[in-house]
Amino acid sequence: MPESDLVQTGIKGFDEILSGGIPRGNVILVEGAIGCGKTTMGVEFIYRGASQFGEPGIIVLFEVSPDKIVRDARGFGWDLRELERTERLRIVFTTREVLRQELQQADSVLLEEAAKIGARRIFVDGIARLMPSNDAIETRSGFHVFTEGLQRENLTAFLAIEASSYTMGQNGSLPEESIADTVIRLRMEENQRAVTRSLEIVKSRGQSYQMGTHTFRIIEGQGLQVYRRVQAPRSSQRDRAAAYDPTTRISTGIPGLDELTNGGYFLGSTTVVAGISGVGKSVMGLQYIAEGARRGERSLMLSLDEQEEQIIRNAASIGIDLCREIDRGMIRIEYEPPQEIEVDVHFHHIERLVQEFKPRRVLIDSLSTYGSSLGAEGRIFRDFFHGLVALMKEHQIAAVYNHENPEMLGMTSMMGGFALSSLVDNIFLMNWIELNDTFRLGLTIAKMRANAISRTTHEVEIQNGRGMQVLPRELRVPKERHPFSAYAGLVSRAPERRRLGDRTETKDTWRDPSRS
Amino acid sequence: MRRLLAQAAVIQSACDLDLLVFLYRHPRALLTSEQLAVFVGYPLKDIAKALNTLIEAGLLGRMAQHSGHAARMFLLLLDGPQGGGVKTLLELASRRQGRQGILEAMDGRTSGQNQSSAAPSLKLVKWA
Repeated sequence: MPESDLVQTGIKGFDEILSGGIPRGNVILVEGAIGCGKTTMGVEFIYRGASQFGEPGIIVLFEVSPDKIVRDARGFGWDLRELERTERLRIVFTTREVLRQELQQADSVLLEEAAKIGARRIFVDGIARLMPSNDAIETRSGFHVFTEGLQRENLTAFLAIEASSYTMGQNGSLPEESIADTVIRLRMEENQRAVTRSLEIVKSRGQSYQMGTHTFRIIEGQGLQVYRRVQAPRSSQRDRAAAYDPTTRISTGIPGLDELTNGGYFLGSTTVVAGISGVGKSVMGLQYIAEGARRGERSLMLSLDEQEEQIIRNAASIGIDLCREIDRGMIRIEYEPPQEIEVDVHFHHIERLVQEFKPRRVLIDSLSTYGSSLGAEGRIFRDFFHGLVALMKEHQIAAVYNHENPEMLGMTSMMGGFALSSLVDNIFLMNWIELNDTFRLGLTIAKMRANAISRTTHEVEIQNGRGMQVLPRELRVPKERHPFSAYAGLVSRAPERRRLGDRTETKDTWRDPSRS
Repeated sequence: MRRLLAQAAVIQSACDLDLLVFLYRHPRALLTSEQLAVFVGYPLKDIAKALNTLIEAGLLGRMAQHSGHAARMFLLLLDGPQGGGVKTLLELASRRQGRQGILEAMDGRTSGQNQSSAAPSLKLVKWA
């Protein structure tokens, strides 16, 4: 459909869902319960039309007085009085009875008003009970006559109707829905103790649109912002993202780890670092983004667990000056408290960050917090993660996700209740190992797609001011402390010292320093 | 208040004031006179009189009636010479206390007109 035949709503994020706008002349029915945002949406439709697209409009009100509409619009930065003054808007107060009669007359006063300013859009707030009858068929035919009147002036009509479970028919729909060309349903949904707003395009004649329930917000000083549901298909580019550069590697930033990974992570790969709290996942992540900055690659850290100041302090303790890199524009940290994450809004935010900041490395701390926030068992978390992986691949980003595995000693599963390992390219297990009276830290590469890797567990240490490093298998160690190669079953909960004969069977032979 | 009322000499009755306040909040109203009377809360004949007064004073526009249409478009016109003072008065009258004060001041003006020229002018009203 040519763009000129589409009426852009101008509502942020909404036209994208509508494939650019709504076919001109469509009768749009916006339904929802009290407080859903119907009036705000309708007023914004008219305001954007008049102020941005050169399409004057008319607002027809029954119950709300125009001065309140003008006052509330001012809170969004919309000066309706100025639009009235410049003949781009008329706000008409009337009654349903008058409107019904008006639109049945060929010389309607209302439509005459519309013609005077060359109106292209009309918003009628509250068309419920426009027809005096309770009979569905009569309501339908009455509504039909009403819409015919609107279409005589070639107006794109935006009609708000209050609808709740009480006003819906047995099949959950209103009689007006069958006449309307476009039906948009607004809802307020309770989620735990929070309430989120959502909208669904139930139908829209003459166009394609993105189905399903999308989140929206009413933002002070701005108006509506619609956030496409995270599951909705994005650009076709993203679907082709699997064809990313198959050879370029990104250094991990951990001394000794690049050697174990044949040079680092692949571009566009997805890595999960799993381990219990305190095992060093964040340290590993900080070194990853600091290494990026050192190499002139932008890095983005998305944190749900710690705020920026705390992350900067933690980084300083391992010798990383994050402030300098942030100031240099090489690192960006985004913190969002996890309590009331709205998944579509959050995903939109990440999409925008990735598009604007263009990072090569992304660190997400942590996947498990997303799980506890969105519910690891349901589809939403999985769909969100799937969307995130696709986004990172599309933008050729090597993304590292920290994941808290609840087991303190040993690991019986890689990702606990998070059934996501099939989406992940690389899985690194960080594990406490109790030897004698000491917890020592082990790192095992459990999975690394397209890499011939050794699944040997390596010892890792974190030093103040220096950070993390993978220790060599051959260590000069005091008599009372043996290197990991002296043990078997390190990722089990009960590692055992190898018998002397076993040592020769491994590639990384342990040399007892006391014998050399 | 006295100065404001002097600028809005056209407002002679409570019905004039209340009709103007209604139209101030609904500056472009497509209604029948009967509906207007119900919304403002006065008998139809009072509303008809007030409408004529305000139209003559240039504060209100009323579109000619089309045949077969019961409703007419009423349009508040505050851009004229009287508009500024009326606007301020209507801002005050939009609140209960303000309306009360204006009505009391109007009473004083009426009684003042009925008394001799030596009588005191408008009664002063405490404005919170």
